[in-house]
Amino acid sequence: MSVTPDSAVATVPPRAQPPGGRRRISRVNAHKRREARTAYVFLAPWFIGLFVITVGPILASLYLSFTDYNLLEAAKWVGWDNYSKLFTVDTRFLTSLKVTTIYVVVSVPLQLAFALGLALALDRGLRGLSFYRSIYYLPSLLGGSVAIAILWRKLFGSDGLVNALLDVFGIQGAGWVSDPDTALGTLILLHVWTFGAPMVIFLAGLRQIPQSYYEAAQVDGAGKLRQFRSITLPLLTPIIFFNLVLEVIKSFQSFTQSFIVSSGTGGPVDSTLFYTLYLYLKGFKSYEMGYAAAMAWVLLLIIAGLTGVNFLASKYWVFYGDTK
Amino acid sequence: MKPRMMWTVALLSAAVMTAAAGCGGGSGDKAGGDKIHLRFSYWGSDARQKLTEQVIKKFEEKNPTIDIEGDFSNWESYYEKLATKVAANDAPDVISIEIRGLSEYAGRNALADLAGKVTTGDLDQQVLTSGQVDGKQYAIPSGVNTFSMLVNKSALDKAKQKLPDDKSWTWDDWINLAKQISAAGNGVNGAEYNYNPAWLQIFAAQRGEKFYDGNKIGVTPETLKAWWGIHQQLIQTKGSADAAKSAELISVGPEQSLLATNAGAMGMWWSNQLNALSKASGQELTLMRMPKTAGATTGGMFLQPSMFYTASAKSDHLAEAGKFIDFLVNDPDAASILLSDRGLPTNAKVLAAVKGKLPAVDQKTLTFIDAVKSELSPIVAPPKGALQMEDILKRNSEEVLFGKTTPEAGAQKFLTEANAAIAG
Repeated sequence: MSVTPDSAVATVPPRAQPPGGRRRISRVNAHKRREARTAYVFLAPWFIGLFVITVGPILASLYLSFTDYNLLEAAKWVGWDNYSKLFTVDTRFLTSLKVTTIYVVVSVPLQLAFALGLALALDRGLRGLSFYRSIYYLPSLLGGSVAIAILWRKLFGSDGLVNALLDVFGIQGAGWVSDPDTALGTLILLHVWTFGAPMVIFLAGLRQIPQSYYEAAQVDGAGKLRQFRSITLPLLTPIIFFNLVLEVIKSFQSFTQSFIVSSGTGGPVDSTLFYTLYLYLKGFKSYEMGYAAAMAWVLLLIIAGLTGVNFLASKYWVFYGDTK
Repeated sequence: MKPRMMWTVALLSAAVMTAAAGCGGGSGDKAGGDKIHLRFSYWGSDARQKLTEQVIKKFEEKNPTIDIEGDFSNWESYYEKLATKVAANDAPDVISIEIRGLSEYAGRNALADLAGKVTTGDLDQQVLTSGQVDGKQYAIPSGVNTFSMLVNKSALDKAKQKLPDDKSWTWDDWINLAKQISAAGNGVNGAEYNYNPAWLQIFAAQRGEKFYDGNKIGVTPETLKAWWGIHQQLIQTKGSADAAKSAELISVGPEQSLLATNAGAMGMWWSNQLNALSKASGQELTLMRMPKTAGATTGGMFLQPSMFYTASAKSDHLAEAGKFIDFLVNDPDAASILLSDRGLPTNAKVLAAVKGKLPAVDQKTLTFIDAVKSELSPIVAPPKGALQMEDILKRNSEEVLFGKTTPEAGAQKFLTEANAAIAG
């Protein structure tokens, strides 16, 4: 179709004017206008919220990212200084990027694999499925919370439950959360443990694959593994893609876990210094709010870039049933 | 929908929104009439909040025209909230601040000069000086503390060790004692270390160096290396827990320290933490002088103002704010409520008046401070950026103690970062 809406309108033959048509039209228009006004009145609270609480601060932070702003004095314009400092002199910024990247690259695939595995197990028609689904979903609801982060610190402390368990087997445990070599690992584990949300989405995806495909495959003599590789996985790729995009964005913005587990420092030795935690430390602990604002915009660009790459790459591996 | 009904709904929702907004910012002028309304921000425990409410009530009794609202927050988020309020032109009239934050706020014109607003004649003049920035008296100290060694004597007895003479003991003596106590095998660690800048400050002073030398760090790399050497020796001789366990201990409060849980015999703490530590451990703890570097001419210990009272530069009621601060530091009625909650009072007259009311633990601290007073070094407010010093020192110390870098490189990195923090 190459017909534009305008030309489409033009090709419609003018209808015969009914008596009093002009007035009728104007009444219809008046009614429409009134309806629109009503809609805007009802939307007003949301619009006010959007502009005052969201768009305003976003623009303000864009402005602040070009200033030297310590919260106590007025902001001073410094141009691109904050941005160039980030990539030239600030080694902690690079550390935080590295830590966050490792966290995302390791924990997201692990978490998705785990979620998919459990979804497959649950999809076999277990009795009490909804019960298990709720149980496994629970960590997702709790995983980002402060309480769980505190629990994690206790579990993996040198006198924690994990070491007590290892002790039973005669293994001398480490101070998992306070040793720079293992601290990030405990946070990755915490993230993998919150597999519930992608699992539920996977389950829904599995339900949508027509049973007839499997039956046909069975007739052709395909085994379970072959069925998984040739039917389940390809038909599930849109769901995997969706989960991947979501989890990458979410985990790049992780904050609570490292904030609580490291007592707000990103330690030991910056081994859990997440990007957002460093941003927070710059803004509220060193009073470099302009710098923190610049970091927030760089984070936005990074996430937008990653999501873009994800979408571009999806062409090569995501299979939508209706296209060839 | 009929127009009238539509407007009713719209107005209703607008009303609900305003009401909801009112709930959020309810700290406005709630005192009506012609009373002067002041806000007083402070941090601390629930116990401190109760005491502060009492002392505010007392002040309002004496000054019926002034109404004071306590603006309380926990320590972890205190500076974040304060900075946000100052940025929003909503600074409290009277602000509690500690010495590390003083230059940040005074130097950025957030605080008012209190000269002539508060009577300071009876306060300890040396401690008072630490409330000055660029020669102006921005801050009045609430009381004093000193960083010292706390020792559980019964743990020493159990390990068949004698309480050492703190006038002459050296760091080697201390490390050795810690090793002996751990070796005695009562499940008690000899000592627990920390990365508190106060300890480094004392250690540096013993070697003739100032922590802050004007707007630069005066500590030399050699001193830092020697200081980390003490940590390393403690770990190697098992006088303390290993690096990971120690890192864990440092991140929790005094109530969960080894000393408090009777799993350690010695630790370095501020004297006002003696109370909490004694209560938690149920043991009698002895305050001792910090060990010295062999051959040092000074012990390097100092009196630290526990916190300061300051007034916002934007306050409309500076005179009344001054009056309230005056009451807090000079009126025995205030001191008899607060006692040593904000450090031991430095006003000699007030102290004499409330001395009898102080609990036994505070009496002990008072005796200790009196005994060491003549040996103490003067203290000045550190430059801007001092708020970050604890984090910078902790991070770089951990890097060295976990073996992620050499002491040589760690010292250089600390100095670079610390100097950058106070220059900014």
